[in-house]
Amino acid sequence: MIRSNAAILILCALFAATFVPLSFAQTNDSTGISALENADQLQQTAQTQTPPSNNSQAPSLEDLGLTPSQTQSDPQLQARLDKRAHMLKMHQRLGLITAIPMIASVATGFGAGGRSTSTSERWAHLALGSATGDLYFTTAYFAIFAPRIPGTQTRGPIRVHKALAWIHGPGMILTPILGAIAFDQKSKGEKVHGIASAHGAVAIVTAGAFGAALLSVSLKF
Amino acid sequence: MSTKFLIGLLFFTAPAFAQADQQWILQQNSLTYHVSHPLHQSEGVSHEARGKGVCHQGQCDFLIAVPVKSFNSGDSNRDLHMVQAVRGAEFPLVTVRTRLPEDSASSATVLADLEIQFAGQTAEYKQVPLQLAKDGDNFRITGTVPATLSDFRIDPPSLLTIPVKNEIPVRVEMTWHAEK
Repeated sequence: MIRSNAAILILCALFAATFVPLSFAQTNDSTGISALENADQLQQTAQTQTPPSNNSQAPSLEDLGLTPSQTQSDPQLQARLDKRAHMLKMHQRLGLITAIPMIASVATGFGAGGRSTSTSERWAHLALGSATGDLYFTTAYFAIFAPRIPGTQTRGPIRVHKALAWIHGPGMILTPILGAIAFDQKSKGEKVHGIASAHGAVAIVTAGAFGAALLSVSLKF
Repeated sequence: MSTKFLIGLLFFTAPAFAQADQQWILQQNSLTYHVSHPLHQSEGVSHEARGKGVCHQGQCDFLIAVPVKSFNSGDSNRDLHMVQAVRGAEFPLVTVRTRLPEDSASSATVLADLEIQFAGQTAEYKQVPLQLAKDGDNFRITGTVPATLSDFRIDPPSLLTIPVKNEIPVRVEMTWHAEK
């Protein structure tokens, strides 16, 4: 009797030893402990994302060997992405709005700095330039302070968009300074001279770079 | 003795009989979504889907999962915006489930009912035509899932205040390997 019980136990142990590794064989881990940990972590996602299947034979997410980082929900990252998207949407809208007074500034600039000594044209140009500057730096704020997403490699047209900021950014600082000097000279009845004479050229390059930056993320090329 | 032996044998051999007849493992894959905008036509591709099929009693259950952030459109800004718009950090996987008759492997085209979980929503696509091509122990499956943004309650992202089209068809190219 004792011998027969022992035979049953040995047989049972043999079958158990055969089937336990099989149940872990479907994961990609080499140890049973890590397989269990992964299964627990994956199960959390499975509960939120996957309704339990009615068919016990159907494969589950645990069978696919996905890493926990690929399956776990990250509400903090979602909040960060939401904030980033909101700020970049503001950046996009304000950028478009900025383009309007910028074009008008360039257009009125031809009259403000030329042979005409009309005060009203100069003041109109000044007002449009100031509005452009204010809107531009508000636009830039939303891009500069939008949250960064760790581990993201910059690819595609956004690289051109960012590179052009190194042209129109300094240009938007320099243009009003040169404009103020030119305005002062013109108000004194002098001909625009010295460094101020570069105001128009700097402004055109700045506006061109700004327009190109806008188009770089709008049109496919 | 013989009764206990038989019970023991039955208890431990039962799972063996419940094992699947055949299993399919997803080997190579390419999933491509297409987004249309008046100024842009863009595509995002992922090759990181995982999949498994289990056949039992003439029916095969398939599960495919792909991380949302694995889609690459060639523009990191667009990819991040896509992950945000589809709430990909909160719901990091797209899962596709389907059940097909085992004998459909002999057809050139199969009509599959797909259950897709994406962006925290579940949508069903009935009778999606998939083309099958056998290559030894492998099967190549191609087709297009006629997905839309509204199916998953995703607000259409916009560029220059113009929203993208609702249709986001997903082209599927997969190679499955049979494992006995």
